[in-house]
Amino acid sequence: MRDSDVLDKNPHISRSALEAIHDQVFGWALSRCNYDRAAAEDLVQQSYVELLAGKAKFEERSTLKTFVFAVIQNLAKSRYRRMASRMRLVTAMAQDAGDEPAAETTAVENPAVWQAVQRLPQRQRDIIELVFCRDMTVEDASRVMGVTTGTGRVHYDRAKKTLRARLEDGRESNDE
Amino acid sequence: MSKDDIALHEMLQQAQREADGVAPTFTEVFNAAENRIRGRRRMQFAGLTAAAIGVLAFGLLPTSGDEFIYVDMEELKATTYWTAPSDFLLPDHQIDIYRELPKLFESTEPDGGTLL
Repeated sequence: MRDSDVLDKNPHISRSALEAIHDQVFGWALSRCNYDRAAAEDLVQQSYVELLAGKAKFEERSTLKTFVFAVIQNLAKSRYRRMASRMRLVTAMAQDAGDEPAAETTAVENPAVWQAVQRLPQRQRDIIELVFCRDMTVEDASRVMGVTTGTGRVHYDRAKKTLRARLEDGRESNDE
Repeated sequence: MSKDDIALHEMLQQAQREADGVAPTFTEVFNAAENRIRGRRRMQFAGLTAAAIGVLAFGLLPTSGDEFIYVDMEELKATTYWTAPSDFLLPDHQIDIYRELPKLFESTEPDGGTLL
């Protein structure tokens, strides 16, 4: 780690270490903002501001990735709470009108899997995303979500069970 | 991870990668964050400077009142006039102030033919 690489107000974080996890951080921010890219970029930028200003201090109690993900989660909760409720309202209205929900319109090759995940309750969806898509342990994922490891494990198991059932149902209905 | 978990893992990672798309470059986002910090510091500096200037200006500007000016008594004579005070507080209502008050002067001892 070069000395000039270290953040002044966060001596345990280097610019290069942040750069290494940047894509994953952006992906996590993206899912926090209902896949609104501009909002996600702003959220990531805000998290870097917090790190640069030393407001969010990394003390090496977890991995840097877990820490930055938790910063993103907390910022999203506080700053984007109002926006998220508006988005939910818009999604609910779209569903009432018979439209597809916004998140499900994201272009993916296997929409059945994606839709099955998106239909999970928020916490189950979060832990599945963190463990399966962002390569975290259940313990780290629980830390990001601000729940105990035990609670995280319960959400994880339920999510997997629901997902499997939904994917099985999907396969069966395709076979018929 | 079980065999099922691995299959689910691969499917989800693929779907997530597609949903995430391409992230904006780190340099772009990080530099913007640094600029935001610099901008905030500049704003704080400007605010402090403005406050300091305000305090200095307030301290240095002459304050009104308590100013001494020289007056020419002769000039003032023509512009001043005197009116009798109200007799409201006098012991007797409508007392003849011109007749009663001179008695006070008479009670003092004359000094060289003039009243003190």
